[in-house]
Amino acid sequence: MSLRPPRRGRSISVLAAIAVGVTVLAACSSGPSASSGNSSAGPQPATITFAASTLGDPGRGPGLQKLIDEYNASQKVVTVQPAAVPYPTFGQTVLTQMGGGEGPDLVRFDMPEFATASSSGLLEPLDDKIDAAKLKLIPGPDKYLSVDGHRYGVVFENANYAMFYNKDLVPNPPKTFDEFVQTAKNTTKGDVYGLAFRQTQAEEAGVWQDIFNYVLGFGGDWSDGKKLTLDSPKVIEGLKAYQQLYDANVIPKGADAATFRKMFANGKVGMELNNGGYVTATSSANANLNFSVSRIPFPEKKQGTLLAPMVVNANSKHKDAALDFMNWLLQPAQQVKLQGVLGASSVASPTERSAESLKKFPFLPALDELTDSGVPQIVNGFGPQTADIRHIVVTEVLAALQGQQDMATAMAKAQKQAEKLVGQ
Amino acid sequence: MRQIRFGVTARALAVLVVLGLAIFPVYWMFVTALAPDEELFRSTSVNLLPDFSRFGIFGDALADGRVARWLLNSVIVAGGTTALSIGLGIPLGYALSRFAFRGKAAVGLALLFTQMLPEALLVVPLFAVFRRFDLLNSLHGLILADTAFALPVVALILKGAIDGVPRELDEAARVDGGRPPTVLARIILPLIAPAIAAAAVIAFFSAWNEYVFAVTFVFDKSLQPASVGVAGFIGEQDTSIQSIMAVGLLFTLPAVVFYLFAQRYVVSGMTAGAVKG
Amino acid sequence: MARSPGPAGESVSIPSSPLPQRRRRRAAGSPWTPYLFLAPAVLYLVIFQLVPLLQEVWLSFTKTTLLNPNFNVWVGAANFQAVMANPAFRQTLLTTLVYVTACVVGSVGLGLLVALLLNGRFPGRAVARSLVTVPWAAPGIAVALIATWMFNPQFGILTRTLRAVGIDPGPNGVLDNPRLALAAVLATTIWQLVPFVSVVLLSALQGVPQELVEAAQVDGAGRWMTFRVVTWQVLKPTIGLVAVLMTIWSLRRFELIWLMTRGGPLGSTRTLVIDLYAQAFESKQLGTAAAVGMVGIVISLIVIIGARLVARAAAKEA
Repeated sequence: MSLRPPRRGRSISVLAAIAVGVTVLAACSSGPSASSGNSSAGPQPATITFAASTLGDPGRGPGLQKLIDEYNASQKVVTVQPAAVPYPTFGQTVLTQMGGGEGPDLVRFDMPEFATASSSGLLEPLDDKIDAAKLKLIPGPDKYLSVDGHRYGVVFENANYAMFYNKDLVPNPPKTFDEFVQTAKNTTKGDVYGLAFRQTQAEEAGVWQDIFNYVLGFGGDWSDGKKLTLDSPKVIEGLKAYQQLYDANVIPKGADAATFRKMFANGKVGMELNNGGYVTATSSANANLNFSVSRIPFPEKKQGTLLAPMVVNANSKHKDAALDFMNWLLQPAQQVKLQGVLGASSVASPTERSAESLKKFPFLPALDELTDSGVPQIVNGFGPQTADIRHIVVTEVLAALQGQQDMATAMAKAQKQAEKLVGQ
Repeated sequence: MRQIRFGVTARALAVLVVLGLAIFPVYWMFVTALAPDEELFRSTSVNLLPDFSRFGIFGDALADGRVARWLLNSVIVAGGTTALSIGLGIPLGYALSRFAFRGKAAVGLALLFTQMLPEALLVVPLFAVFRRFDLLNSLHGLILADTAFALPVVALILKGAIDGVPRELDEAARVDGGRPPTVLARIILPLIAPAIAAAAVIAFFSAWNEYVFAVTFVFDKSLQPASVGVAGFIGEQDTSIQSIMAVGLLFTLPAVVFYLFAQRYVVSGMTAGAVKG
Repeated sequence: MARSPGPAGESVSIPSSPLPQRRRRRAAGSPWTPYLFLAPAVLYLVIFQLVPLLQEVWLSFTKTTLLNPNFNVWVGAANFQAVMANPAFRQTLLTTLVYVTACVVGSVGLGLLVALLLNGRFPGRAVARSLVTVPWAAPGIAVALIATWMFNPQFGILTRTLRAVGIDPGPNGVLDNPRLALAAVLATTIWQLVPFVSVVLLSALQGVPQELVEAAQVDGAGRWMTFRVVTWQVLKPTIGLVAVLMTIWSLRRFELIWLMTRGGPLGSTRTLVIDLYAQAFESKQLGTAAAVGMVGIVISLIVIIGARLVARAAAKEA
């Protein structure tokens, strides 16, 4: 109350001026200042960062780190460092950083995030940087990494989904869906559950991966490439199969993947539909577990595949260095080692399984054969919107599991919301 | 409340129940960290006691080196945030308490108001500001971000404490020739020391626990604070429940120890202040 | 901060008759003095809170994605219309209201009881007063981890205890049960908040004049009467402050809820902050997220101003 109006006016205007000044400073964006450099002369000395959720896995992380160390020791110019991005917020964190003009130089993405990032210009086009023919990249999965005629990544890992089963609990793996249900029921006793899958909102991305197999396995698809078909009878049939197992009380309900995978490793779960990458995790959690892997016993011989591309951030100041590491990793010798780290996944180019790993995991060739029939977990034709469609679908499916609505209603609602989203 | 005649035994029992509720989850983290897998996944019986033969898991976690690094980073960030928010909060609280000026009510309201802004709302625009001023990927950047969220509540607490100091004391000091900064430093600060301790504790914990900025603004593994490090134990393919509990406990203990240490000053001092006020 | 010369100095002339002077110029100094004290903190908050906030206000009227935050398409009030038209958002508002109210009432109520309990005399009082504060010092992430494990539907010790005493949360357990998840998140939150409230109230209790308590008892007042007439009057302002702090912190709480339930199942724990985070980082729609944030801000303002009015009315009454 002690100040006279003119003074107050001045002081406020000073503050306002500062505020405006800072706003202007903050608002004018500076584009990525990276220079493309002279690519012919080899990479400039640099330390680059590599973000991969694989690095956080207790089973596979140390192996991948060892491979990175090997690269760092193999030459003196480029040092690759793991970036600090924990799995629970991996996609959000990396995309926030990239949208803000920063981010790790190299990233291992899952397909939905890859699709979004590539369509938003956040990824460096690799058309003339990667010689697919010379590197013998497997064309099937590789074709998903080109968007609008430009290549934005290479395959880091391609993990087919299959049925993991505990041979002590499930001596005769089921061959049909009915047998699958029956086996799950018969195996569930006390602390032991016949089956496990993800079914909570807290694991939206995981639920999507899991229901993908049911939808494909019953002949459905999320779209025909041009139009969404979330409410088509085949999709609903697959999801009803998923719900049938949920309602049969043969799974540890409410348990998250971290828990039920530990349970599988400890002989408390009979069967699980999971990707090949899980082989390493299982055997590192319990080396004595007597388990095997076979094709998912659903009517249609088609299943999801966890396709994980490796990309170069368009904001990177050291693209040459990033590419150098990428090309090193794509060499045959490194591909074999990478595959050893990743377990039963395939990598970018064809590799021979070592005799040692075949002896340890005799089912590996069966897993590799699935590569042809594997479908990456995106909505065909709607790649960039996959994450949003996923959110809609998973929310409605879970509401059906909780008994709020039947599956047909759920998918009719999902179809309507998703159509609005993609503007159909 | 001595008049509440509630037998000593009954009170002691009630206290034990409260303490049990307060401590049990932390104790259970300890038991879980030391439990073998077959113990974790058995619903038929339960072992309430820790298996000390597996105590090595804590040693392994510490020997890792990363854990010590995370804790150190967290201490730096939390300590820096505490110092900066107290440093900025004291003059602000003093001005709000002792001066009448235009816009005072607005500043007070704005302080309460900024307390309500969630980190998630501001993280994207702040990222741009930080990039502009080259504050990304650094511990001092995190200190600046965390201080912005701790400062308002610190200032409000300090203002309340200064309100409780009788004005006659600063009047007397000014009569003796003290200028406002001197009055603040010589007369007021010693009297509100307990409130400063309380505010420091709040600032420390808000930075110690902060995750959203820490995960978005820091890229180097060597600069990760413990909140991010602990979350990194949640893996995509598998998660070791025991390791994450062990690391979570190592993350909890320094905060608890710090609090128990600071609390003596907070409570004893606050008491004195309250009686005088 | 450039120090302008003199402003504080000129005021120190010793007044010959201090009393009337004191009335006029409370704490002395030139009219600029308060602003000098304010400036560092205010400037700081302008840069790190106000400027980003203004940008968020702008974003709330645009279509902007997380992947390209600098490319904004003006859409007017469309984000607000979309948010308001969404029936799920009404549930979010209701969930937020329930969550915040229960946090405040639960933590202040239980905190007061614990404070009264610890204020008496009993052996080991100092140790008890220290140990009871452990939950507040535990980091949110660690709390979320252990709470999730204790609520694990098959093996969690809390789930098993509940089943043992005849409260079966169903095969999904507590956190995946739309009717129980919010209660579980609330229980965890309140567990963490009670120690803070009780420590603050405990120190306020030391200010209760024993003479008054004794006088009330001499006059024949019962326990409850004594509490209401003496203790409550002393605690009231502190409880007011604590309640405001609890409201603010509960409106903002993120990590604990996100890690325990991600706002599920069926949106039963989706508070405003969770909704905001999901819009911004899962759907990547910064514009929609900003609109949700603005709604939250309006609610916060109503709460703050409401609290002020209540406090003022209470002060007048007294």
